[in-house]
Amino acid sequence: MNSIIITRAGTHSTIQDFGRFQYQHLGVSPSGAMDQRIITELQKIIPNHQNQFLEFAYVGPSIKVKEGSVKICVGGNCNMSIQKNNNSQLECQPYKSINLFEGDELIIHNTIDSVYGYIAFEHGLGLEPCLNSYSTDTKAGIGSINRPLNDEDIFHISKDVSSWDLISIPKPDLEKVTNFKVYPGPQLQYFSDNTLQSFISGVFTITNQSDRMGIRLKGESLISSKSHDILSEGILPGSIQVPSDGQPIVLMRDIPCTGGYPKIAILNEVDISRISQLPPETKITFDLQTIY
Amino acid sequence: MYFKGINSYGDRGLVLDFGNETSKSISQEVNEAFLNISNLNLQSLNIVPSFNKIVVIFENSKIRDQNKDKISMEMRDTNSQTNKKVTKTWEIPACYNEDFALDIKIIQKLHQITKEEVINLHSSVRYYTYYIGFMPGFPYLGDVPSQLITPRLATPRVKIPARSIGIAKNHTCIYPKVSPGGWNIIGQIPFDIFDLQSSYPSLFLPGDEVKFYSVSLSEFEKIRKYNFSLNELIKEYSS
Repeated sequence: MNSIIITRAGTHSTIQDFGRFQYQHLGVSPSGAMDQRIITELQKIIPNHQNQFLEFAYVGPSIKVKEGSVKICVGGNCNMSIQKNNNSQLECQPYKSINLFEGDELIIHNTIDSVYGYIAFEHGLGLEPCLNSYSTDTKAGIGSINRPLNDEDIFHISKDVSSWDLISIPKPDLEKVTNFKVYPGPQLQYFSDNTLQSFISGVFTITNQSDRMGIRLKGESLISSKSHDILSEGILPGSIQVPSDGQPIVLMRDIPCTGGYPKIAILNEVDISRISQLPPETKITFDLQTIY
Repeated sequence: MYFKGINSYGDRGLVLDFGNETSKSISQEVNEAFLNISNLNLQSLNIVPSFNKIVVIFENSKIRDQNKDKISMEMRDTNSQTNKKVTKTWEIPACYNEDFALDIKIIQKLHQITKEEVINLHSSVRYYTYYIGFMPGFPYLGDVPSQLITPRLATPRVKIPARSIGIAKNHTCIYPKVSPGGWNIIGQIPFDIFDLQSSYPSLFLPGDEVKFYSVSLSEFEKIRKYNFSLNELIKEYSS
């Protein structure tokens, strides 16, 4: 038996996978990793990840091997090091597999010029799925672990490491994008041409009131010519909704399942991952695609 | 027939439009279409009905475009074939004891009626489940009798107890778990309506009919102690 203990949970550490689907009509949000590009890359290094990825934001977790050994890989842009059992320190890099032995501690200091990072564990973390997914929705209290990770959380990984071979991939080119092509939202016609012009030509700032549910933007006020109150309807991640204060919110992975604000536009799937990595104070712009 | 057509929602979603009004007959058509589309076994990620829309979500635009025609065809055919009834009719015990009825006085005062009248009115109607949303398993039921229509609380409550029954505007609801919220709370039911251990976790489904009947506090506590599973609740309280 192999086990690890969380010695420092970090700020927003949760278990995530590619999302929980087929339950949104029962009020269950899809959730899933904020930056799905990274867990897609990690699959190449740790193919047997069992869909149990650890997601962290800003301040990463520290993980110590309590018993046995584990093989892991970190994805994202982050500072990290390994404190070996014999007190020596080892440098380590994302997108390279890491073998950790009893007493070794992986310390992820922080993400650099980005928000989210991930750890894949060979054979997973010994978790049971919840509604066919390992993802955590902390607001709804749904998940294999229905809360953020805490200090002292212990995971048991029954299978042993398959091979000590070190595997790495070139650091993926996850370029930073701040101009987003968006498609018209279902309530585009709730906004006048002038307001749409402000949306396209304006610069919006990501605020620190942003989380897994949504990224709140600050910029020119986008006041609807019709109403900011629509009858609630189903929504997709990436939708840009505008409440009555005119400040848009990009809905992210832990979306409310239905929503009552007009949606001016929607991002494509890969841009949801891209925008999730932009820290507060980043300035962004939108390009409205007319086809679709 | 309220169905107006299918529109794109970004590069990977579709919206089935049933107009801008809301009524039970519109919702009946929406929920029937929801069941028919669910039975098509599309390669969709989610199918989300609401008052007058159904949003269908796909992994990408290619899969969306491949499946769009199947939905169009199904919506054309729905006219001719009437769906057999698969929804349930529920009789749900409700305790309107003052310990639970946190806001019943607001409704009494607004409509100048007694507590007994509120209870009798609320438990006199067979409600329609418009859809499930807001939080896991939360049913939007309606319509409440006109003498009970009450706006949301001016200041939402930070913590509404689990299983509380609420009224807001012309709808009534049950909070599956502790939550912040702005509905006027008038009672509580004695069991959970959302269970993550079940493969089909929500007791109510869109289109179900729900009638409440008043029970005493001692009866409420007796039922509470049974700790029914969802399957037992279906046997006990639905037909």
